[in-house]
Amino acid sequence: MDIFTSMQISSSALSAQRTRLNVISSNLANVGTTRTAEGGPYRKRQVIFQSSNESFAKHLDNANKQGIQGVKVAEIQVSQAPLQTVYEPGHPDADENGMVHLPNVNTMEEMVDMMNATRTYEANASAIQASKRMALKALEIGR
Amino acid sequence: MINHINAINSTLPSPTAPQKADNPGGGFAEQLKSAINSTNEAQVTADKAVEELHSGQGGNLHEVMISLEKADISMRLFVQLRNKAVDAYQEIMRMNV
Repeated sequence: MDIFTSMQISSSALSAQRTRLNVISSNLANVGTTRTAEGGPYRKRQVIFQSSNESFAKHLDNANKQGIQGVKVAEIQVSQAPLQTVYEPGHPDADENGMVHLPNVNTMEEMVDMMNATRTYEANASAIQASKRMALKALEIGR
Repeated sequence: MINHINAINSTLPSPTAPQKADNPGGGFAEQLKSAINSTNEAQVTADKAVEELHSGQGGNLHEVMISLEKADISMRLFVQLRNKAVDAYQEIMRMNV
């Protein structure tokens, strides 16, 4: 049914934004991490989105005809931006010059990203509300 | 106007024509049955989603809410269908023969 197609699309966007928020949480939690499993300080993660129509295969032909697509997380990329270095000779992870490499996470950027994710999530939740309202209005025709 | 009515008449089956046994639409009973089935399916899916969320087997909050909404809308649509069917039945029963 067409009304459910729009819900599926919004649902895919909500999932994508949740993943994004998970990644942002990870970045914020590891803002001072100097030791990781892969060695060295933590590096910032960022999500890459990709349009898709996989999650609503049931409505595929209908959605395909109209060129309608949802969104999915293509990959979670590790940022290769340079690490921050701080002079702190007492730190156990300092190198021979007393420099400590800190993660390339910028708290301010993460906060802005977080706001962006939250607002996008809200927008998609509103789209679901709207499509639900439309369906209920259509059912009122019968009354 | 008359032409229009005649055009409609020609597309309708004539009253004396025998009813086809293998109706591709399946008839009203079949339609009703499939409506009941799809409504039930939506309810079961929503139920399962809630269960999965509660037992911590993954599943997102919004997905559960959306499946609940789907079940709700399907249910409302079915109730409307039922109301219409009952209305039609009562209308016929009120008919003076």
